[in-house]
Amino acid sequence: MKNIFGLFSRRSSLLLLGFYIILSFVIMTFNDQFTLRGMRFTVLQVVSWVNSVENKFRVLGSVTEENKELRKKVIELSTANQRLQEIMIENIRLRRLLQLKRESNFNFMAANVIGLSQEQSVRSLILNVGSADSVRKNMPVVTDRGLVGKLLIVEPHQSIMQILMDRNSLVSARLQRSREIGVVGWSGNLWLDLNYIPRDIKVEPGEAVVTSGLSRIYPEGIKIGVVGEVQDNEYELFKTIKIKPAVEFNSIENVFVVLTPDSMNMEIARSE
Amino acid sequence: MNKISIRYILFFLVALLLQITVVKYIQIFNWRPDLVLIVLVYFSLRKGPNWGMTAGFLSGLVQDLLSTHYIGLSALSKTIAGFVAGSLQGKFAERAEFFLTLLISGLVHDFVYFMIYTMGENFSLQSSIFLYTIPNMMYTLLLGGFLYYLIEAWATE
Repeated sequence: MKNIFGLFSRRSSLLLLGFYIILSFVIMTFNDQFTLRGMRFTVLQVVSWVNSVENKFRVLGSVTEENKELRKKVIELSTANQRLQEIMIENIRLRRLLQLKRESNFNFMAANVIGLSQEQSVRSLILNVGSADSVRKNMPVVTDRGLVGKLLIVEPHQSIMQILMDRNSLVSARLQRSREIGVVGWSGNLWLDLNYIPRDIKVEPGEAVVTSGLSRIYPEGIKIGVVGEVQDNEYELFKTIKIKPAVEFNSIENVFVVLTPDSMNMEIARSE
Repeated sequence: MNKISIRYILFFLVALLLQITVVKYIQIFNWRPDLVLIVLVYFSLRKGPNWGMTAGFLSGLVQDLLSTHYIGLSALSKTIAGFVAGSLQGKFAERAEFFLTLLISGLVHDFVYFMIYTMGENFSLQSSIFLYTIPNMMYTLLLGGFLYYLIEAWATE
């Protein structure tokens, strides 16, 4: 009798497993449906809320720290010194960002990274700007150092972006010296790949790689990285080029969304 | 819904939120632990495969909603990880059960995930395994060992 129950329970487990597998594939097929968008909106609200609580705690923590510092003169001096250094670093970073804003013809929307979703090596960043801030799908995201990626999902007050180190990310790029055009993608390594550069083109490590401007998504001239390694394969038409990204993807806190007119127009055309 | 079930739900919610908001502060180089997997394996070992895969499906779906890959991919891999963990209930000596189950279901989870994510694409699976999967798994195992005693104490209180 026990064996029969055991068999039944094993069968029910397999049936349930089959059900969930089919359901997962069904969801993958009908990817961005309305119900899922509603669920995503709710989850993003929770993440935003947690982030604001986290910030409040941080502020509260620093105020408590300040009170303690007032009582202890020695600690106050050392902590104040550390704080000044932090501010100095932040100041340099913000100056760079401001410089970037001045040097470009595009409008930028400043955004903070409020969350990070990671499954294995695949990372998506959650930003605190959304369609209510004139941000649209496919708008490029940059820092003062270079290109980070583009927005893929835009909700009213948050958005989720795809970084360059994603298998599905492809960017039309140009080698700055030779002006040769290729495609930057990612194949699971620490660096990016620059594909489709013919073997007879001279490429040396250290050469900058920028966006080509041939796509409707990324404007021309945004730095992607520098050439790290170049390999010539005798029996292949193209070189194997590894690109060291300009942006350190692990420590991104503040970014700028580039408010490109093309992304705006594409979105308007789609809604019409 | 009894007190223990509410605690388990809380574990998952806390793990999901920490995974998104706080784990970035404890990353080493590029490596991050998978808190959701730790809680999922713990839960599946206690409640069996049916509850394990249900919890895996739901927690994976929430993670999918916050990422730019196909929605359903994490749900699928976490469902299978929950099923594997639940099926391994009682298969190992009590002391090593959690670690071995976490290791096996973690590897199955990663295998399913990458198999679908890289399907038909030029993707260096080998370097991905060495650069991300193994270090992430080691980190998850180390942190899992520490959290196991915390969760165990709180869940069985």
